[in-house]
Amino acid sequence: MFDVPTPRSAHPPRYGVQAASLIDPRTLMSIRNLELRARVVVEGFWSGLHRSPYHGFSVEFTEYRQYSPDDDPRYLDWRVFARSDRYFIKKFEDETNLRCYVLSDRSRSMAYGSTGCTKADYAATLAATLTYFLYMQGDAVGVLTFDQEIRDYLPARHRTGHLRQVMLALEKPALGQGTSLAAPLERIVEIVRKRSLMILISDFLAPIERLESHLVALSACGHEVIVFQVLDQAELDLSFDEPSMFEDAESGRTFFIDPRSARKEYRRKLQAHCQSLQTACQRLGIACERLTTDRPLELALFGFLRRRMQHKRGPRRMARGSAGL
Amino acid sequence: MSFLTPVFLLGALAVALPVLFHLIRRATRRRTPFSSLMFLTPSPPRLTQRSRLEHILLLLLRCAVVGLLALVFARPFFRKAVPDTSPSAARRLVVLVDTSASMRRANLWTAAREQAAAIVRQAAPADQVAVFTFDRQVSPLVSFQQWTAAGPGQRVALVTGKLAALSPGWSATYLGQALIQAAETLADAGGKQALGPGRIFLISDLQEGCRLEPLQGYEWPRNVQVSVQPLKSRPGSNASLQLVSEPDDIAPQAAPTIRVRVTNAADSRRDQFRVGWAQPDGRAFAGTPTEVYVPPGQSRVVPLPLPRGSGILPASVGGQTAAPAHSPDTGAPPSAGKAPASDQEFAPAHYAGPDRILLQGDDEDFDNTVFVVPPETQRLSVLYCGSGPEKDTAQPLYFLRRAFQETRRQAVQLVVRQPAADARLNPALAALSAADLQQPTLLVVADPLPEALADALRSQVVAGKTALFVLRSGAPATTLAAVLGLDRLALEEAAPRNYAILGEIEFRHPLFAPFADPRFNDFSKIHFWKYRRLDAGAIPSARILARFDSGDPALIEVSLGRGRVLILTSGWQPEDSQLALSTKFVPLLYAMLEQSGAPAPLPTQYHVGDLIPLPQAGPGDKSSPVVRAPDGSMIELPAGQTNFSSTLAPGIYTLASAGPPRRYAVNLDAAESRTAPLPADELERLGVPLAPQDAAIALDAQRKVRLQDAELENRQRLWRLCLIVALGVLLVETWVAAKMVRAKVT
Repeated sequence: MFDVPTPRSAHPPRYGVQAASLIDPRTLMSIRNLELRARVVVEGFWSGLHRSPYHGFSVEFTEYRQYSPDDDPRYLDWRVFARSDRYFIKKFEDETNLRCYVLSDRSRSMAYGSTGCTKADYAATLAATLTYFLYMQGDAVGVLTFDQEIRDYLPARHRTGHLRQVMLALEKPALGQGTSLAAPLERIVEIVRKRSLMILISDFLAPIERLESHLVALSACGHEVIVFQVLDQAELDLSFDEPSMFEDAESGRTFFIDPRSARKEYRRKLQAHCQSLQTACQRLGIACERLTTDRPLELALFGFLRRRMQHKRGPRRMARGSAGL
Repeated sequence: MSFLTPVFLLGALAVALPVLFHLIRRATRRRTPFSSLMFLTPSPPRLTQRSRLEHILLLLLRCAVVGLLALVFARPFFRKAVPDTSPSAARRLVVLVDTSASMRRANLWTAAREQAAAIVRQAAPADQVAVFTFDRQVSPLVSFQQWTAAGPGQRVALVTGKLAALSPGWSATYLGQALIQAAETLADAGGKQALGPGRIFLISDLQEGCRLEPLQGYEWPRNVQVSVQPLKSRPGSNASLQLVSEPDDIAPQAAPTIRVRVTNAADSRRDQFRVGWAQPDGRAFAGTPTEVYVPPGQSRVVPLPLPRGSGILPASVGGQTAAPAHSPDTGAPPSAGKAPASDQEFAPAHYAGPDRILLQGDDEDFDNTVFVVPPETQRLSVLYCGSGPEKDTAQPLYFLRRAFQETRRQAVQLVVRQPAADARLNPALAALSAADLQQPTLLVVADPLPEALADALRSQVVAGKTALFVLRSGAPATTLAAVLGLDRLALEEAAPRNYAILGEIEFRHPLFAPFADPRFNDFSKIHFWKYRRLDAGAIPSARILARFDSGDPALIEVSLGRGRVLILTSGWQPEDSQLALSTKFVPLLYAMLEQSGAPAPLPTQYHVGDLIPLPQAGPGDKSSPVVRAPDGSMIELPAGQTNFSSTLAPGIYTLASAGPPRRYAVNLDAAESRTAPLPADELERLGVPLAPQDAAIALDAQRKVRLQDAELENRQRLWRLCLIVALGVLLVETWVAAKMVRAKVT
């Protein structure tokens, strides 16, 4: 048995979710098992959804709806009942056979963290959460980890034991000496022929001049791409007081940096870099969200779902199990 | 506190480094891992915004370590006052100023005076100073007593005033003698009271011609050093002129020339000169000079013919010219076959004509004039009294005539007389008279004389003449006895078995002194076939000068009144002995002639400073001789003075006395013309204790101080203490720093 940590978050409520229901990432990271960690987030997300005033949102979007007396009890999802002690009707839609690939950056720059939670852990947890969420929905999920080259690749499957393998791949430590976005994107383009959902999780602290072309290639293949940029708050602010020898996590170079004098310029450059990423994604219609490691992962999941919903807005598909069918 | 190597104290400036490091807020050891430095550029280290230092205690400890290390390397020590073990500070100084002829060049004398003035100015009030000048002799200028008597403010003026009144002379440089005298003066002065070291300041041009022989083997007094102040003349060429003396054996009829030597200095830059007879003022040539080429460092002998009209004037008596000066080499006296001329008519001849030779073509003229007075020919008379033809080789006269050859310096007139007019013996010879005995200085008697002449002979001997009895037979025994004042003198004929030789010779007697040298003292080759034996003991005051190997006397000297009688017990003709044929014969005769009181030929050439012997005054001559110096001054000498010493300048000195005037030429010493500088180490080679130069003294003093300091530091070894303290401070600093780090960590 495991203890689900008491949810707490300093973030203001978003998406109608109470702050008290969000799990602090640092606290979340205390769960050593990645799958469990992902499950906690997802279930927490579900709990939030249950208490969220935005029913319509969740009902239209989610594949589950709460049981009402007029529903056919054959469509009750007994697993959910076992977990949450609530009745939900599982909806089955042909459109839910989604193939999804999570591309996770495992370079050493991802191993940095100033809040007790490294970017790598956060990204892995995010990747695991998304993987778990999608897998629970019945989607096929694959994973590709990379640093300066591709490390692990698991094709999108929905089989028994596949989730475990994905989690294992995501749990590997971030030890890469550098970051290269070109190799994994090229590889994915070559491997995945069918339209899939590509979730790219990285800090993008590398030259991104060629990233746009690879993203174009992905989009051109019909893939849906979602980009998550994971950064540490300290990276955003350069919130250091004392001058010291700053050491690059990937190259090992050391500089004497006086944060007070370097902060302004650093922010400018970082902001420009992030803006260029945003711009590139916007041009391609790719959703790009920047996450900091102190942001609860539920909110990331919310953001993910919201974008999915925005992506699917168009002809409404008929859902099985609905009343009157 | 003093330091042995103070330059290392500069290391204390490294104290600034800890201060600087404490001011720079740079956590060089602090590392901050960061994801990527792609947006960062290195920041320069900056000083703390706060002006004050941090960790004052740590800073002080580190500064203390740096300072102590600098102190260790600087080798500190405490200098103690070293008692002055040197003797009394008062010094004894002797200033020797060269006043020789070579100092007349260019600016040397001015420089010498300035040097001397500078030396006396540097003398401390307690120092005792004496100033001497020297050339051929050392003359005191300022004595120690005069120096001490003068006040401290007057001493320099005293010396400079006396030097200003002086000028260089014409004498040679007797440097060795001057140094020895100065050293003896210092030694004498130092023995009287406790004084410091002695120093001789030698101010001289130190030319090669200075005489240093007395310094060889001289033992210098202790604590006396010589400081040489060499004077350098302006560079130039110098050639000198010396008269070449002629040997005495040159025949008087040789071509009348004067030979001079022209010597060019080794550092001379000229080689063409002109030599010739000069006008009386000595500035211009009297006639055409002779061109001479002399390379530097070499010399040439130049014959200069006497000018027309000059020459040796014939002797005169009462203004009348007597016989010509030059005797013809005929073996016969000028008066042979003629009426006998009185030898008293011959008066010394004298030279008339240019008396100086001039050299031109070099830069220094102090040695360019040579004064010339050709020597006079001394005329002597020897009387031979004996029979026998002159050309008979068996007669003593034959050899006697040929023994006395006329030279430029001396002409011996042989007067031959036979004891009595005897046409059977030699009608050409005159008979001896008492008057003949007066003139000659040596009387040679080979035959017996009449009683009256014997008495006259005795009188002459007692008056101072020398009579030589040649006993070629026993016949002159009566005459000899009469001359000696004896009643009778027994002579017997001695016949050696083969021959007799001279076995014992009194070489200490002036007659045989010339033969004392081992090269000449072998008389054993002279064989005597016959001789006469006499009892020398029967002759009062007889001195046997030579004996035969049999012990019989061969030559006896008998003093008789103011003269003497020499008795040769054998004849020198071949019948009796080989004496006339030996190499000893002529020198023996000349020795007899010299011992007979004949005046030695007086030289006419002298050097500055030489004593000129004056001719002996005649009996009854009470006049005072007067000498006219080259500058025209007249120097009156006391009556009876035998020499003249005031030859202070080169030139012609004329002696006016009862006799005819005599001229003497006084010239510069040839050594003074060797003006090249003396080799630097010559004085040291001769053992002169040279004082180190001032710079060397200063260096030596500094070296001594450094040695003393090194010894002091080696004894005190304060650097060890400083090192231990530095290590202690370092340990404390390490502990304090560790404590601070721990405190920061916790």
